[in-house]
Formats: sequence, C-alpha cells, structure tokens
Amino acid sequence: MPALIDRHYPQRMRLTDMPVGASGRVCELAGQDTVCQRLREMGFCESAIIEKVSGQRTLLCQLCGTRIALSEGAARHIVVELIAGGL
Amino acid sequence: MTHEPKTGAARPPIFALVGNPNCGKSTLFNALTGLKQKVGNYPGVTVEKKTGTAYSQHGHPMTVIDLPGAYSLAARSPDEAVTRDVLLGRRADTPQPDRILCVVDATNLERNLYLVHQILDLGRPVILVVNMMDLAEQNGIHIRIGHLEQELGIPVVPCEAVHGKGLIELKLAMSRAEPALPRHAWDVPAAIAPAVSELQASLVANDAKAPLIARAEALLLLTDQDAMRVAGSTPLSARTHETLASWKKRWENEGTDWAGALVNSRYDAISQLCAQVVQRKDTSPGPSVSDRIDAVVTHPFWGWITLGVLMALVFFSIFTLAEYPMNFIDEQTAAFSDWIKDKMPEGELRDLITDGAIAGVGGVVIFLPQILILFFFIGLLESTGYMARAAFIMDRLMSSVGLNGKSFIPLLSSYACAIPGIMATRTIEDKKDRLVTILIAPLMSCSARLPVYLLMIAALVPGDRVPLLTKVGVMLLMYALGTFGAFGFAWLFKRTLLKGEPSIMIMELPPYHMPRIGDVIRQMFERGWMFLKRAGTTILGISIVLWFLSAYPKAPGEPTDTEQLEYSIAGRIGQTLEPVIRPIGFDWQIGIGIVSSLAAREVFVSTMGVVFNVEDAEENTEPLREALLKATWPDGRPLFTPLVCFTLMVFYVFAMQCLATLAVVRRETGSWKWPAFQLCYMTGTAWILSFIVYQGGRALGF
Repeated sequence: MPALIDRHYPQRMRLTDMPVGASGRVCELAGQDTVCQRLREMGFCESAIIEKVSGQRTLLCQLCGTRIALSEGAARHIVVELIAGGL
Repeated sequence: MTHEPKTGAARPPIFALVGNPNCGKSTLFNALTGLKQKVGNYPGVTVEKKTGTAYSQHGHPMTVIDLPGAYSLAARSPDEAVTRDVLLGRRADTPQPDRILCVVDATNLERNLYLVHQILDLGRPVILVVNMMDLAEQNGIHIRIGHLEQELGIPVVPCEAVHGKGLIELKLAMSRAEPALPRHAWDVPAAIAPAVSELQASLVANDAKAPLIARAEALLLLTDQDAMRVAGSTPLSARTHETLASWKKRWENEGTDWAGALVNSRYDAISQLCAQVVQRKDTSPGPSVSDRIDAVVTHPFWGWITLGVLMALVFFSIFTLAEYPMNFIDEQTAAFSDWIKDKMPEGELRDLITDGAIAGVGGVVIFLPQILILFFFIGLLESTGYMARAAFIMDRLMSSVGLNGKSFIPLLSSYACAIPGIMATRTIEDKKDRLVTILIAPLMSCSARLPVYLLMIAALVPGDRVPLLTKVGVMLLMYALGTFGAFGFAWLFKRTLLKGEPSIMIMELPPYHMPRIGDVIRQMFERGWMFLKRAGTTILGISIVLWFLSAYPKAPGEPTDTEQLEYSIAGRIGQTLEPVIRPIGFDWQIGIGIVSSLAAREVFVSTMGVVFNVEDAEENTEPLREALLKATWPDGRPLFTPLVCFTLMVFYVFAMQCLATLAVVRRETGSWKWPAFQLCYMTGTAWILSFIVYQGGRALGF
C-alpha cells in the first residue's frame, strides 16, 4: 500500500480517466446493473482502493493485492476519488 | 454414472470442493485424490465434471467433487451455474454434497471470503481450507487461523497444497463424524429481510427445499438478476417465480439497489472479520517478481513481442515435433489394416472395416499428437499464469471486433482442431460472445486442412526448383485468410445477428508460479482422451456411412476402383454437384472429394487418390501430384490448373467441411439451428470467394 497522504482535494472521476500509477477509492458504481453487480462481487465495492497499473483501453489494476484486467466498458462503471499519485 | 444410491451409512460421504479461480483448488483436488479421478461431463452442458476418491486416516473412502471455480454463487457462465446448482441440490445427475470444502487463497483472503460467505448461508457443514499460507507469509500477511475458526465456527485448515502441507490435518477434519455447522451470524439488510423470508417460505412450500438452503437460495435469487440457467437443473416453481417477480417490481418502483446493498453488506461483514484475523506487517518490499515480469509481459510493445514469440514457438513445435508420432500412427494404422486384410476373407465386411472404419478413425487419430502438444503448451501457459496475460494483451485487438480477450484461447486451440476450441468457449461469460466465438472458430485453419494445402501447393507450384519461400508464402496466406475472415465475421455477427452490449472483461491475473508439470500432463491426457472419445465415435459413424455411399450400388461387371466410385452414390452426388461447382472450376471428381471430406478435411487427399487411382496417396503426394496434373476435363483441358488449385485452397479455408465440428456445435449450442447456420454461411462464403477468385483469375488470363 502506498502512503495515503491526502494532499489534494478529493477529485471524483471515472476509473478510465484516472492517470496511470495513481490510486483511487471507489465512490460509486454507476451504469448497467449486471456489470456493477459483477464488479462488486469481484471486490470493486464502495470504499475499496484501486491502483491503476497500466491502461490503454484495457486497464490493469491492483485491488487488495490482486491484479485484475478490466476492459474499458467495465472500468467506465467505476467512479473513484483520487487519493494518491498522478497529477 | 455418479448416481450413488443413498443407502445411509454405507455410502461414502460426498465433499464438494469449491473456491475462486486461481486459489489452488485443482492442485488440492489432485493432492487429495491422487490418481483416483473420474472426468466426465454434466449432462446437457459441456462442463467438466471431476470426481475422485480420497481416503481418511482410517482408510475410509470419501468422494470429492471438484466444482468449477467461481467468484460468486450468482452465476455468470455455465461453469459457475453448475457450481451453484450442485451446491443447492438442483441437479438430478449429482447428489447434493454432504459437506463442503471451501478453498481460499491466503494472500487474498478478503476477496476470496465473499464466496465463502455465500456458502456459509447454505447451512451445510463447511471446512475452510486456507491455501498458499507460504506465499502469504512471504508477503508479510499473517492469518490468525484460530481466531478465524472461532469467528466462523467451522474447522479452518491452513495448507500449502503445492508442497503437500496441511493435507493430513485436512483429512482429519474431513473424517470427523459429527461435522460442526457454521455459526453464521450475518444480518440481512433490513430493507431486504421481508422479501428474503417470503421467498424462503415459498421455496420451502412449493419447491420442497430445506429451510436453510431455501434461505440461501432466496438471497441468491435476489442478487442474481439475469439468472443463468443451464440444462439439467431443476427449474423453480411458478409460485416462487411470481413472488420473486413481484418483489423485484416493487423495488424497481422504489428505486432501491437491493442487489448492491446485499453485496455491500456481505463485504462489510467480511472486512470486519478480516480486520481481526489478518495482520499485515507494514513492509513495502517493492515490486514483487510477478510485478517485474508483468512490466515486460503486459507492456504495450514488449507484451506483443512476447506473445508473438511464444505463439511462434508453440506452432513451430506443433508442426515439427508432431511429425514423428504422426508418421508412427500412420504406419500402425496401415499395418493394422494389412493385418485385418491378412486374417479376414476378402469381402464387403473386410472392406468396410479396413477402408471405412480403420481409415476413417485413423484419419482423426493421426491428429492426436498435434492436439496433445497444443494442450500441453496451453496447459503450461495456463499453469504459469501467462494465459491470463495473453488474454489481456489480446483484449485490445478482440474488442475492436466486439469480442473480448477471453475468446482468444478457444481461437488459438482451433488452429490445431476446432473441436477442442469450441469446447474451450465455455469459460466465456457472455452468451452472445460465446456463440460468436463458436461460429468463427472453424475458420481458423485447423491442422486437417494442412494435407489439402500441401497437396494443392505441390500441384500448384511446378517442379521442386521453386524456392521454399513461395510455398511457405502461399501457406501463410491461407492461414492469414482464415484468421482475418474469422475476425471479419466476428465483427459482422456482433453488429447484426448477435447484436449486444460491447463485450466486457473482468479477469484476475494470478501471480506467476512455476508450472506443475504433473498436473499439466494429466490435464493434457484428460482433454486428449475426451477429444478421442467424442470425435472418434462421430467420425466412426460418418466413415462407415461414407464407405457405403462410395461402395454401393455395385457397378456391373468387373469395374476398376474409379469406375466403381463413379457409379456409386457418392459418385452420383459428385455428378449432381457438378453444375454448382463448375462456376468455381471444379468437376464432379473434385465434387466427390468435397463430399467425402465432410468426414474430415484431409480425407480429400485420400479420395483424390482413389478417384485418380493412385496407390499410396497418403504416404507420398508425388505420384498423386503427377496424376492430378494429368487429369483433364472431357474436352481435354487440364483440370488442375494453378488457378484451380489456388481456388480449391481458398474454398477449403472457408468451407465448413467437418461434420464432427457441426456435431460438437450442436451439443454446445443445444440446437441444430446454429450448426445449420454455420454450414450455410461458411460454405456460402467459400463458394462466393472461390467464384470471385476463379472467374477473376480467368478474366486476368490465368
């Protein structure tokens, strides 16, 4: 876990828009219900912390110590607030 | 054949092994049951059913069912649906397990406990196996097993399945006569509670469920929005269905996200538990080995290079290493055929056995070495964890035609044979994506097309002085044609016929580890055997039918083989076909080849051998090539011009020339509609493209 210093005012954005290398906390899952449900069950629940490892259409994220590949369509459902890195 | 009669104490207890994908479940299964395993299928769905026998410390047998890996009981793919249905006792073909072994990955306890949490709802005796304890310690994660046991009220066994550690303790826990029931304290969110109890009551009253199972199933029905149904599972009663629908409607009007609330409340309970049980040493060891490998392997540029090199190596091995065993099988089939010819009196039955059954089945068995090699490499790549990275890399490409990375593995297998490829589609969650993948898989040039390509290239390129590069170039062109065709059709189908949401992939990338060669080889033989059983029986039937078609009715007098073939039903079909295939440059003799190669594409070569009366066509294409070049139309024009050879190759790239594949597609899709459609669109495309190539080529003066 990187040090979570809240230097910036929390910014809300879609996971797809979060810069690579940054970490964010999940605020909300919005969009198609079935996809949201699947994401929740895979651990992308509200308040989970995600680190974006790489991303060009298909994203690579670190969640609870696991690497997860997410296609753009799925990542768009995740709204995060930036907590570290990026910017 | 797993219908064990329920005869009280005499029946060995049945354990179901469940867990997330990549938690080491299969390794544990192999470690528990050793070689005493049985692999079959759940009737109606092509999901592998693995059962094995483990022995307790006192030598009592215990049946273990290895259920497909799942993240949740709310199933999204046929695999997960089977896991759910077995646990809920919804499948008539599998007895409801007496006890459940839940396997979790110690390095990833929080996410793994979600499934455990759902399973504890079932109120069955559960044993929790915390696997990969060594890896967790390495990562500075300490799990207080005793505390976890106390909180959940079930036996918790720490384990390192790879090293065989913890197995004795596990077997001891499994042999305990009176298993502890979980002390599962979990409050259903207040908003949902009335719906849960009403559904539970209906399930007890109308579906004859035990109260605890009914409660678990009620919770599941409420989270499972698009309930995945698979054949062979008992459907819900109408009354329960109504109750469910009315609650769903009420919530929709209120705008409550009940499903989300349920998942979140589960995760809340889990994170509370984990806060007490998991102790992390706050060491940040920097990027792990897996992370460092991933930096290269999932890199936007180096990732493609790695994938390309690996795929080239796999194909190189398939085509070079397989040559020797293939020749061996070829010789053995020929020897067996000769032996029968020696032992049996001459006659129809002997011909049926040697020319029909042995030749036909031999034609399929000969591809077994290639298929085993392919399965070995796929197993190896899966076992190290690379396959998920390959799917990740391919996802970008696949999403441009509307599919996702998960379709990559089935398509890769299809280069060896479409049958295992189509069988591998069952891990694809989206039904439409799965269907599209099944529809396009046979367009990937399988190895049965190779003999046809080789013969046509030999006939196409005159003499041996032509550089090898030209031959390789033509061959590569055919592979490229099939591959791009497949992607083109995927794009088309996703936009028209099977229009759906853009495909979505959520896939865990397991950490890399050393492959377990024993498991890889075991899996290779299991899959190879299933291929043999399935394709072998279908091919045997088709071969016998084709033999009858080409042997009857008998031509009068003392006909040569060629005359007999011309007179037979197959010959007549070829002649009937001629008006259709003439515009693409084929005559009735080629027509016979096309019809007979419906059994397997490479049969085309042996049929050409019979038609043009060449001995040993299979073993040496040289005399057959000479014969082909001498063949003419009735008016004396040469039949196999370079243009016709090329057209024939194009035809074979696209035409659906494999009844065995169609039979498998029928099984996988559950209706004849899709194989029929596949036959029409592929063979139709083949004809149209051949027409364009042939007529275009003629217009250009070839």
